[in-house]
Amino acid sequence: MSEVIVITSGKGGVGKTTTTANLGVGLAMQGKKVALVDTDTGLRNLDLLLGLERRIVYTLVDVVQKRVGYGQALVRHKKYENLLLLPTSQVADKTAIEPEQMLELTQVMRNEFDYILVDCPAGIEQGFQTAIIGADRAIVVTMPEVAAVRDADKIIGRLQAENKDSHLVVNRIRPQMVKDGTMLDMTSINDILSIPCIGQVPDDEKVVDSANRGIPVVEWDDSVAGQAYRNIVRRICGEDVPFQTFETDGWFTRLRKKLFSHH
Amino acid sequence: MRQEIVQLKGSRYGLQLVFSPETEFKTIRADIQRKLESGSRFFRRGTVIQLVPGVLSSEEEASLRKLFNQHGVLFRVETMEKPATRRPMATLPLTPASPAKAAPAPAPAPAPAAPPAEKKAPVSETATPAVKPEPQPGTKAVAKPAPEGETMLVINRTLRSGQEIRTPGSVLICGNINAGAQVIAGGSIDIRGTCRGLVHAGAGGDTSAFIIADRLMPIQIRIADRIATLPDGAVKTPAVAARAFMKDGKITIEPMER
Ligand SMILES: Nc1ncnc2c1ncn2[C@@H]1O[C@H](COP(=O)(O)OP(=O)(O)OP(=O)(O)O)[C@@H](O)[C@H]1O
Ligand SMILES: [Mg+2]
Repeated sequence: MSEVIVITSGKGGVGKTTTTANLGVGLAMQGKKVALVDTDTGLRNLDLLLGLERRIVYTLVDVVQKRVGYGQALVRHKKYENLLLLPTSQVADKTAIEPEQMLELTQVMRNEFDYILVDCPAGIEQGFQTAIIGADRAIVVTMPEVAAVRDADKIIGRLQAENKDSHLVVNRIRPQMVKDGTMLDMTSINDILSIPCIGQVPDDEKVVDSANRGIPVVEWDDSVAGQAYRNIVRRICGEDVPFQTFETDGWFTRLRKKLFSHH
Repeated sequence: MRQEIVQLKGSRYGLQLVFSPETEFKTIRADIQRKLESGSRFFRRGTVIQLVPGVLSSEEEASLRKLFNQHGVLFRVETMEKPATRRPMATLPLTPASPAKAAPAPAPAPAPAAPPAEKKAPVSETATPAVKPEPQPGTKAVAKPAPEGETMLVINRTLRSGQEIRTPGSVLICGNINAGAQVIAGGSIDIRGTCRGLVHAGAGGDTSAFIIADRLMPIQIRIADRIATLPDGAVKTPAVAARAFMKDGKITIEPMER
C-alpha cells in the first residue's frame, strides 16, 4: 500500500522542507521505500537539506513536460538507497507545472514507493494546488504563534474542501516560552485547529547545523528535534507513540543565560 | 465501519433525520434514545431536527417528538424546502452561500446597510459554501411558512480562517467560528462553540437580532449598523455562554444560561 502525503503550511518558513527531509530519511531508516518530491519550483532547497544538490541532472519540470521519465530524474540518497529525491527546477516558476500533470505523476509513482512525500511551497496559489492534488492526506506544519496558526487554519479549510484529511505538526516549540505564557501552548493550538496532532518538535539549534551539513537531525541521536521526528515517523507507520514532555531550563541554566546574555 | 441506524444529514435548510425505510420504528426509536442518553454530541440541545413527512405514522412522529423534547431537541416534520424569511429582505445585499467551489471570489461589494463610519469593510478572501445545497427529495419551488415561525440555516462544522457564511435569515452554527472567518446574517446567529471571528447579525438593519455563543470572544461584533470591538489584549476564555444584543442603541453583552 502506498501513500502520498503533502507537507504544507500556508505561512512560509515554518519548517515544511525541514519536516519533509526528516520524515523522508526517518521513513527510509525504517526500511520503507520513499520518494520525496520538491514542488517549491524556483526556490527549491530540499536537495540541500539532503546533501544531494550536486547530483541533480533532471528536474520535476523536465518530467512533467515529458522530456525524461521520472526514473531518470530521481536522485538516490547517498546513505539510504531506498530514499529517492525528485528535485525541482531552480530556474522555472510555479506555473511550469499544472496540477493535472502532478496528479498523473503521483499516480504512476505510487506503484513503486511505500511513501511519497510532497514538499509544498508557502502560500495558497497555484503551487499549493499542484502540491496537494495527488495527496491522500496532508501534514500541516505550524509554529506556536498566532499568524502561523491562523494560516494553518486557512490551509486546513482548503484541504477539507478537497476532502483531504490533515494532521498537525507543531514545530519550533520553545518550552520555556510556553511555560512563561509568551508562546501559544498545545492546548490553545488544538483548540483552534482541532485536527489530530502527530508531532511536537522543539526548537533546536542542531536543525540549522544539520541543514548546512545536509544530514537531517532525525539521524542524530543527541538532537531533541531528531527524537521528535523519529516519533512522528513511528506515528505515520501506525504506532501509538506518547508525546514527549520537553525539559524547560532549570533555574541554574536560566540564571547562567541571564548572566552571560551580554556576550 | 458499522452502519448507523439513524443518521443526520445536513442540508442547506437544516439537519435531517435519515434512516433506512426497512428499519422498524422500535429500532429507530431505541437508537435515537441511546444517542440522546449517551450524552454524545450527536444531538445537541437546542438543535432542530427535521424529518420529511410521510415516512412515519403520526403516532410515531408524536412519540419521537416527545422523546426529543425531553432532551431539549426540537423535532419538526416538514418538507425540506427553502426557508421562508421572516421579513422582506428586498434591500438586503446578501446572497446565500454559493455552491461554487473554493475558488477565489471577487470581494463582495460593501453593504449599503453598513455603517457610514466604517471606511474599509473587511472582505473575505473566498466565499466557501457553507453546506452543499444538494436538492432534497420532495423539494418544492414554493416556500411555505415554517411551523414555528422561523427556519434557520444550520452549519455543522467549524468555519476556518478565510471562510464566510452569508444568509438572509438566521443561522445556527454547531462548531467554532475561528479568527479570520466571518458570519453575516440578516437574522440572529447562534454558535454552539467558540466564536473568535467576525459576526454580524441583523445585517439588513434588524436591531432585534442577537448573537449567542458558548464562548463569545470575537474580534468584532456587529448588530444592524452598530459595531462593538472587544478590548485589546489577552482575551480570557469566557466560562459561560453569552448573548449580544442591542439595548438603547448600544451593543450589550450579557452572560446567559444554556
Ligand atoms: N525545529 C527547528 N529548530 C530550529 N530551527 C528550525 C527548526 N525547524 C526549522 N528550522 C529553521 O527554520 C528555517 C525555515 O525552515 P524550512 O526551510 O524547513 O521552512 P519552510 O516552511 O520549508 O520554508 P519555505 O516556506 O520558505 O519553503 C530554516 O532555517 C530551518 O533551519
Ligand atoms: Mg520549503
